[in-house]
Amino acid sequence: MKSLIFGMTLFSLGLTAQAQTKAFNPDISVNFLGLFERGTNISNDRTQVPHNGFSLQEAEVQFLSDVDPYLKASALLSVSQNPGTTDFGISPEEVFLESTSIPNITLKAGKFKMALGKHNQLHTHAFPFIDAPLIHQALLGDEGLNDAGISASVLIPAHWYSEMIVQGFSLSNDTLYKSTNSGSIGGLAHFKNLFDLTDDLTLEFGASGTEGNNQWGKTSSVFGSDLTFKWRPAEGGKYKAFIWSTEYLNGNRPGMSTDTAHLGGLATWIQYQFAERWWAEGRYEFVGLPYSSEIPLQNKQSALLAFFPSEFSGFRIQYDHLMTAGKAVQDHAIAFQYNVTIGAHPAHAY
Amino acid sequence: MNKTKSISLVVLILTALTFSNAAQAKLNVVTTLTDLRSITSEVGKDLITVESIAKGTQDPHFIEAKPSFMLKMSKADLVISIGLDLEIGWLPSILQGARNPKIAVGQPGNLEVGPMVEPLEVVKGNISRSEGDVHPFGNPHVTLDPIRAGQIAVIIGKRLAELDAEHATQYQANASAFDTRMKEKTKLWQARVEKSGVKKAVSYHKTLTYFFSRFNIENPAILEPKPGIPPTSGHIIDVIKIIKDQKIPVILVENYFDPTVTNKIKSDVPSVRSATVAVAIDGAPKIDKMDDLYEALIKSVEGK
Repeated sequence: MKSLIFGMTLFSLGLTAQAQTKAFNPDISVNFLGLFERGTNISNDRTQVPHNGFSLQEAEVQFLSDVDPYLKASALLSVSQNPGTTDFGISPEEVFLESTSIPNITLKAGKFKMALGKHNQLHTHAFPFIDAPLIHQALLGDEGLNDAGISASVLIPAHWYSEMIVQGFSLSNDTLYKSTNSGSIGGLAHFKNLFDLTDDLTLEFGASGTEGNNQWGKTSSVFGSDLTFKWRPAEGGKYKAFIWSTEYLNGNRPGMSTDTAHLGGLATWIQYQFAERWWAEGRYEFVGLPYSSEIPLQNKQSALLAFFPSEFSGFRIQYDHLMTAGKAVQDHAIAFQYNVTIGAHPAHAY
Repeated sequence: MNKTKSISLVVLILTALTFSNAAQAKLNVVTTLTDLRSITSEVGKDLITVESIAKGTQDPHFIEAKPSFMLKMSKADLVISIGLDLEIGWLPSILQGARNPKIAVGQPGNLEVGPMVEPLEVVKGNISRSEGDVHPFGNPHVTLDPIRAGQIAVIIGKRLAELDAEHATQYQANASAFDTRMKEKTKLWQARVEKSGVKKAVSYHKTLTYFFSRFNIENPAILEPKPGIPPTSGHIIDVIKIIKDQKIPVILVENYFDPTVTNKIKSDVPSVRSATVAVAIDGAPKIDKMDDLYEALIKSVEGK
């Protein structure tokens, strides 16, 4: 009898210890994006990314937890197709630690999405459209500006929200820097301001810039600015909302032999939520600002319809129309995407 | 003369500084919800400043983490939230953006009251999102029970006393007075509900669980088929059957949801009464105090 009680006590203690250990496990979530695409300028070769037909666009596995009373950490591993093959690879999309105990300032170290403009800081599943804007793809590549480095963001004491972010990072980005010297460090600064115009309407304005040595031994740079209006009424805001956002990037890659060494462009888009789980979006893009006859100017229009049954699943259909100067045929594409999250509840950014 | 002027100037500056310091000495409290703001205000009175992130007309599950809220929290001495995962979609982002170590989770400046007032509907066993947006640690709408509101006041009073020991007695006395008032008024409200004869009600979401529980009103049907999932026509037909079978006299729709969903029910069951109700302070005009909120809910049950 005694041994039975002793055994039960040990078992109970074991369960308690197990429960306590689980309490320290990081929050885990998996997001994945499935895609079906059909486009006049999209390859039929399934080793290409993107390609016509079905594909698993990306899966993101995220672990998030406090490290101790001073730090929190996030590890987001991306599973996606390696271009040129049908194989998938795992890469650390963002793995960083962040301070939680310093007043007015947040320090960050690791590999993370750089604070260049607004769109570059988004994960693929949070993109307003299925694809990134053309100018972002042209200047920053498919993965965006995402490197190992450090960051400091300071909340400026003002009557409105004003934040200054300064970052130093490794210059590995293929399309912008690809510096041959790993000791060379790039710099980035971002000044973000947000005003509550009314209880329902906000205006956000940001200006950012980055600079660093490139593979041609010169200095590449990108300047960006963004402007966003968001309207969501305090009464009835579950059922209607409106966003208008515009982002401009202007990059210079001296030493690059192509016509696009100096390239600028903008993307402007609106989103109108017309029911609890439905919204429509429209986007206009122009690549070639400032204008230059040497650059193949591009105009793109996109329309998107989204249905999100819950916070954890969404379905979107997008149509794109692309006109490229000097190209007789205009491109059309249609894409259908599903977006699913399992695991820990996501924290939403504004 | 010049010396006198100089002394006067120094006295004036010192006086100004003294008053300035006195103003700064007030505890700056930010609450997630207007109900918590109201209760905190009852406890802290003019010894504190308090403001809420959410408005009374908003669904507290879906508040956007505006950077301007981070600015408010950056200056806060105390943040009071419900917890129980009610604010999980937005509060962590605001706390992180505030860069204020005083209000970090686990610090004295961060208070979650929901887990401390015996939450209902705590999930036992396995849980899945196929059941909708379920709160595994319990239903978070605790402030709609006046008795729990009194308990929350006492909890807040204790925390304010810890942070501002000089005024501890006043905080605890104010909290106790509010708690007593709620207990006394609850007896009167219970008598009125009893007299109304209403024993069952339908709601849109499980917002009113604590209110129904306190006033012995059963809630056999919810307009949402599952928490967080909007009503479907098939589910509304099921609800209509339950209303008819169980002779449910009233539907209460929380006022941040679409009230038109009850039109179909009312056309099928003309005898059922439907009321759009505020479920938070500032959710409707003249809902300024917790007493007003409960009074309005009781009147909706009574059909007044």
